[in-house]
Amino acid sequence: MFHWDLLSTPEFAGLDNFKQLVTDGATVRAVINTFVFALASVVTHIGIGMLLALGVHRTMTRGTKYFVRTAYFFPFLVSWAAVALIWKYVLDPAFGLANYYLSATTNWLASPTLALPTLIVVDWWHTIGYTFIILLAGLQTVPAQLHEAARVDGANAWWRFWSVTLPVMSPTIFFATVITFIGAFQIFDPMVIMTQGGPDGATRSIVQYTYEKGFQSFEVGYAAALSLVLFVVIMIVTGLQFRLSRRWVHQ
Amino acid sequence: MDQSVLTRRRFLQATGGTALAASLAACGGGGSGGGASTKELSFVYMGTAEQQATWNKLFAKFTEQHPEIKLKAEGIPLSNWGDFFNKLSTRIAGGQVPDVIQIATEGQRLFASKGLLAPLDDYIAKDKATIDEYYGDMDPNLIEWDKKYASTDGKTYYLPGEFNTMCMWYSKDLFAKAGVPEPTARWTWDQFRSACEQIKAKTGAFGYAAGPEYFAAIMPWLLTNGTSSFSEDWSKPTYDDPKVIEAAEFNRKLVADKLSPPPGGTFDATTAAAQGKLAMFGGGRWPIISIRNLKATQKMGIVPWPTKVEQGSPVGWNGYPILKASKKKDDAWTFIKFLISKEGSSTFAQLGGTIVPARKSIANSQSFLEDAPKGTEYLYQALSYATPIPSPDKGAAIQKAIEDGWKQVLTGNAAPADALGKAQTTLEGLV
Repeated sequence: MFHWDLLSTPEFAGLDNFKQLVTDGATVRAVINTFVFALASVVTHIGIGMLLALGVHRTMTRGTKYFVRTAYFFPFLVSWAAVALIWKYVLDPAFGLANYYLSATTNWLASPTLALPTLIVVDWWHTIGYTFIILLAGLQTVPAQLHEAARVDGANAWWRFWSVTLPVMSPTIFFATVITFIGAFQIFDPMVIMTQGGPDGATRSIVQYTYEKGFQSFEVGYAAALSLVLFVVIMIVTGLQFRLSRRWVHQ
Repeated sequence: MDQSVLTRRRFLQATGGTALAASLAACGGGGSGGGASTKELSFVYMGTAEQQATWNKLFAKFTEQHPEIKLKAEGIPLSNWGDFFNKLSTRIAGGQVPDVIQIATEGQRLFASKGLLAPLDDYIAKDKATIDEYYGDMDPNLIEWDKKYASTDGKTYYLPGEFNTMCMWYSKDLFAKAGVPEPTARWTWDQFRSACEQIKAKTGAFGYAAGPEYFAAIMPWLLTNGTSSFSEDWSKPTYDDPKVIEAAEFNRKLVADKLSPPPGGTFDATTAAAQGKLAMFGGGRWPIISIRNLKATQKMGIVPWPTKVEQGSPVGWNGYPILKASKKKDDAWTFIKFLISKEGSSTFAQLGGTIVPARKSIANSQSFLEDAPKGTEYLYQALSYATPIPSPDKGAAIQKAIEDGWKQVLTGNAAPADALGKAQTTLEGLV
């Protein structure tokens, strides 16, 4: 509602800031980027996280189980700043490990088409542990009796997964989806550290754009409007998820 | 079941209350911690962990001379001036006002125009002899620029302090190995390019580390091509000037022909040069710390930037203003006088600061030139042909737009005219 540059007195702006939201191409781009990032993040986290959880849940020795669980979860404990710096080295175009093993000379973070997918992969590596642990916990709540009953009824492994495991753990999957989406939608650190939103805004997220507007261009009023958008989007999407959940989440 | 919910809720209330109280206490503490109400003189500067020790020694010297003034200095380690200003303005907006701060050219006009600083004119009149002696020992350009760019109302808010210009650092070993004669003070882009090519062909080392840094890797090329990022009074961006595009293309060709490592990576130019993997990189005084740590001062040389149209270099200098809200202005002035004194400035040069002293006598003395590469004196001489780094108010955003556009060219993602034209549009929206 105001124009304010942090230092001088705020000045009333009415709805100017909100008008600017619609006309500012960079905002639209940031919103699209963030949506792409968040959707890709939810799909990869839940999909691959589920496979990992199933893998770990299968018969394994206790020791291996502990080891694998810790290994998956470990990256999540490392702070984003450290993760981003390490990956920047891995992805370095001249002497990075990624290019070395792929015998390529790809400039991962500077390419307009590859930069966002690359960040999605890095984000996946970093936060998969969290989704994995949630899903694994959900998997462990599935009562063994149900499986046994299904087996007696002649259901094969696929059927048991589809009609027993999934419905029983659907509340967990739902929770993981909501949490992953909210987390991904607020993504900030890897963009700032690894690509600075570049190349040409291809990886700029909403939160990052808010920061740039508020603390680099000193348009605090506009930044506030942007963060309102963030709030509203997350609220709507989460509300939508809750509404749709009635169709598939087993109560 | 009900019981457990109830207790959990009560538990949350209790912890919530404590957390709130704790955060309130933290706010109160923060507000008065750096504020003008404390007994100590509070000074905020931008410094990394590496430089902090140097500053501490300088402060110790000041305390020795003025035991009556307690100095509480605080370094904020940030990588660029834009971020430093954001941090400071956020702090000031939050009510933490230090007495003296260090501000580089990039933010001087911004801080002066927002009415946060106390004019120094009365103090200067009072200590006229000291100031005249200081100004007499300095390149007159610096005084003139300080008047022109660091104030909007004719009052003096800053005394110009140490500065940085840009020159080309080169590895003497690699030039010798490739049989290329070392560059001279007046050399051209063509000679530069052919040196890169010969060194690459004969030794396999990179010729130059092209990058997207506004001050260190963009401006020198623009200025030596007779152009700049903004008009002379910083009111209009000129980033789509054909000469800017030409400079960007020249850099892109260095990357495309593999004479420069690909940008956007983690290439460490100083280390690579000391190890003989890179022949040249641009720098002011600051690479000296790494080069000294690598024990390579004798292996390196410094020459002015190669030219296409004319000699050129960006320049940025430090100012030490007193905040209007400060309650210890006299002590603050004593501290500033110490910083610009012969003693303060030579201590700083000796300790290996990352900037060139403003005093000619110190910049030409042993304390500055010792244990430094051949040609270090060019950094001071560059003042005679340098241009203050164009820094309109929204410095950080402007720097980002300029660097993003240049990056697009260096990586070959976009044609120079398109990328810089787009950046130009962004810049026009920012001034």
